Amino acid sequence: MISWRETRPFDFILLIAAIALTGYGLLLIYSGTLDSPGEDGSFLTGPVTRQLIFAAIGVAFALVVSRADYRFLAQNSGYLYMGLISALLFVLFLGTEGTYGSQRWIDIGPVHVQPSEIGKLIVILILAKYLSDKQDEIKSLHVLFISLAIAAVPALLVFAEPDLGSASIFLLIWFGMVVMAGADMRHVLGMIGMFVAAAPFALVAIVTDYQRERVSLFLDPAADAQGSGFNILQAEISVGSGGLFGKGLTEGTQTQLDYLRTQTTDYVFSVLGEELGFIGAMILFALFILLCMRGLRAASISQDVFGRLIAVGVVIFILFQAFINIGVNIRLFPVTGIPLPFISQGGSSLITVFIAIGLLESVIVRHRQVTL
Amino acid sequence: MGYSTGRRPWRSEPWRGEDYREAEASAAVKQKVFFFALLVIFVFGILTLQLARLQLVNGEKYRLRAENNRLRQAPIIPTRGLIYDRNGVTLVENRATFAAAVVAADIPELDVTASPSECAGRCQEITIALQELTGVPASDIEALIVQRSESNDPFTPAIVKDNLTEEQAFVLRERLAYLPGVRVVIEPRRQYTEGLLMAHTLGFVGRIDAEEYAELAANSYQLNDYLGKAGVELTYEAVLRGIPGSRDVETDASGRELRVLAETPSQPGNNVVLSIDLELQRKTTEFLQAAMGRSKNAAAIVIDVKTGELLSMASLPSYDNNIFTGRVDDAALQALLTDEAKPLLNHAIAEMYPPGSTFKQITGLAALQEGIAHANTQITSLGYLDIPNQYNPGVVDRFRDWAALGTLNFYRGVAMSSDVYFYYLAGGYAQGNREIFQGLGATRLADWTRRFGLGDLTGIDLPGESAGLVPDPEWKEKTIGEPWVLGDTYHMGIGQGFVTATPLQMAVVTAAVANGGDVLIPHVVKEIRDPEGNVIGPQRQNVRRNLNVDPRNLTILREGMRQAVADGTAKTSEVRGVPTGGKTGTAEFGERRPDGSYQEHGWFTGFAPFNNPEIAVVVFLEQGNGAATAAPVAAKIMDYYYNQRNVAQRTTP
Repeated sequence: MISWRETRPFDFILLIAAIALTGYGLLLIYSGTLDSPGEDGSFLTGPVTRQLIFAAIGVAFALVVSRADYRFLAQNSGYLYMGLISALLFVLFLGTEGTYGSQRWIDIGPVHVQPSEIGKLIVILILAKYLSDKQDEIKSLHVLFISLAIAAVPALLVFAEPDLGSASIFLLIWFGMVVMAGADMRHVLGMIGMFVAAAPFALVAIVTDYQRERVSLFLDPAADAQGSGFNILQAEISVGSGGLFGKGLTEGTQTQLDYLRTQTTDYVFSVLGEELGFIGAMILFALFILLCMRGLRAASISQDVFGRLIAVGVVIFILFQAFINIGVNIRLFPVTGIPLPFISQGGSSLITVFIAIGLLESVIVRHRQVTL
Repeated sequence: MGYSTGRRPWRSEPWRGEDYREAEASAAVKQKVFFFALLVIFVFGILTLQLARLQLVNGEKYRLRAENNRLRQAPIIPTRGLIYDRNGVTLVENRATFAAAVVAADIPELDVTASPSECAGRCQEITIALQELTGVPASDIEALIVQRSESNDPFTPAIVKDNLTEEQAFVLRERLAYLPGVRVVIEPRRQYTEGLLMAHTLGFVGRIDAEEYAELAANSYQLNDYLGKAGVELTYEAVLRGIPGSRDVETDASGRELRVLAETPSQPGNNVVLSIDLELQRKTTEFLQAAMGRSKNAAAIVIDVKTGELLSMASLPSYDNNIFTGRVDDAALQALLTDEAKPLLNHAIAEMYPPGSTFKQITGLAALQEGIAHANTQITSLGYLDIPNQYNPGVVDRFRDWAALGTLNFYRGVAMSSDVYFYYLAGGYAQGNREIFQGLGATRLADWTRRFGLGDLTGIDLPGESAGLVPDPEWKEKTIGEPWVLGDTYHMGIGQGFVTATPLQMAVVTAAVANGGDVLIPHVVKEIRDPEGNVIGPQRQNVRRNLNVDPRNLTILREGMRQAVADGTAKTSEVRGVPTGGKTGTAEFGERRPDGSYQEHGWFTGFAPFNNPEIAVVVFLEQGNGAATAAPVAAKIMDYYYNQRNVAQRTTP
């Protein structure tokens, strides 16, 4: 029997970075929703308050998860995975129509739940479990394939929603984790090469009209400057117009005059770009880099493969969610519905990333094995 | 490959401290962690580069685009000047009305890259919602949006429906938040107080059309602007319009105007005072209307013989110019356009008719001045004048008089309107090669006719004037391809044949006879006043030319016209207590009937009072008769002017 002892302290820098990012997000949500307070005009029911409540729940989750044994989650990751697949199937066939006609939510009472968010953590867990179990044959091709299949099933399901962004995140998590687990890099790179080669055909064959439209809009948003291209163009204008110092919080004309839409979710970064400028963005990047580095530190000090893989998975998850979300805002990527971790308004995303932080803390706190 | 963790499955092997495999594994882990750290830096590096490109390199460009997004320059339409009659009676007012409009640039889901632009999804929802609110078909609205989006001014609201009821405007305003790109626009509307009475003089304003806009955009006209389309509204557009102002407004994404950042106020247009006396206009119209009988058209003019000011001008049938001020009622407009009587046309200035015997003023004065005739020139009318056909000597052409009037001097020739008398004056008379009486001849007659202003625009300050026609041998050769014959001169001498004139031109002729030979430039606007009421115009010339005739000859002609009223053909124009001079005309027109007769127009032209003429009156009745229908109308008008109208009201100089 192996048991665990806490020999390293809780990583406060990591948690503080996460809370700082959340606070930063609250500022932006506040500015982005100035003209839409809560019901009956009260700030208490407004979006900032709601987000604050989610943040509190998130921190609580993080603390609970950090004290829990992540191995417990490992043992149950199979059930979690089955649950995830069911939830994604449910979303696909019975879910709530979201923005732009995609189906990403389950309605539980008044709450919208996006299973794909927590799903990314579940995939991290099950991949960590599988890859650490298969350490002996980690260089074999079939481990690589099965691990890919584990990630690909939910990836395909969210892809069908359609959510190309989340699907990519699943695959990027897989990539990061197999690299970390020690898979044969020739195999990994070979498979990535195949992906890249197949991508154009996939675009023609499986990508839906909806996604093709998004790609063509990305290439030429002016084609529908008042419609679907509006957000893309206006986000670009918002960010660009912020310049070095920005127009000042709550002073952004694009944000405040509603030229920027979904300005607290998909395009929250544009609010930052417009109102706080390049400097504000650099502060955000610094916080993200700090957070990712603390996450990698967890991977590096973890003495077991399972924890290490979880840590890398979580870092990849947060890193690429941020990359894709910000990339959409500044026209590096076509529109996807990926939230900006800690910043975007929305409970599913915020609670998920705090659970992820909890997992990292759990890995850090239990980094040393002790035999009794 | 260095990417390899140890071969130690953690579940099967216990912890053994710092063994070599662990150290090796740890080194490999560090290497990979380093790789991921690089990845983190790389990812944020890419983002930073792109962000720097947007914010630092192109920041200024985007800042401008953001400003263009929020700032719109909205025109402030100036208050259009008002129009009054000569006594200060208001003839047109400005009223505020609501219109539903769309701003193509703010309409969502409008694909402007397609050709033509495509309206789908939200755009269609908006057009359908507007259809429900305004009743304008969604397809029309869609076409309007598409058309405007392709124009170079997609930001100017395009009017979907104007003259909304207050309830419609209210409901639409309530729903604006859900209808991006839709606006409720307040528009000034012209309300004419005397539509039917003044339509031909005032004209109307209408929305600027594409052609006019292309021409006038430089004068700060907007795509939605109104401008004068007819009448005084058109000729005095520059005076009435005023100077538009502008406003820089901050607008949100759905185009709602949130704040005015800067404002240049508009300057209201100047007011126009007409020379028309509304009450005289009313009476003129009433009397004319009452006399119309089977006439399709009629016109009457009262002109001030000293200044050229029109005191009244009626053209019947008329139309209510208020139908043009809002959205034009297509059915009503169609009815006006297809009406045979052409109600939209100002028959007083735009239609040309043979002037008939009223033309004898010109022939008579020309003959006197050219020495062809004098007061005592005796000519005998047997009721006809026979002359051998120029090309077929065996055939005799007979030119009729309206009666066998016997021997007449000039006064009686005019008074009795003897055609034979004026055949002589115009064309002379010869038997074989022996000239018995020398006439003016076609060229001299045509010259005199032109000197009176026929064949040319009078220069009245109204659009749509006709020049009429003054024929001469050259013209006939060129246009008809036949040589001018004596008969043509005879016909012209009595205002028949090819010569045509507008009632206004005949008013100018009589005014010249009455005022001592000044051919006037008639006008309907007396004064232009600035908004404070100061007279600032118009600057213009009232006299076009003087006939340069011996005043005695004018006296002779006027005496002939006095006798025409006193005991001649124009007796029916006699006015109680006011000596006048007049001349009737009954002009044949159209195809010869089987019985040899023609359809006839009725004319009267006269002046009053005889001794010191102030006004000239012309009455024209299509398919009327000079003495029977036209002259009595003139009599009533003059009687009203001199005997019934409140003298204190008169402002004639």
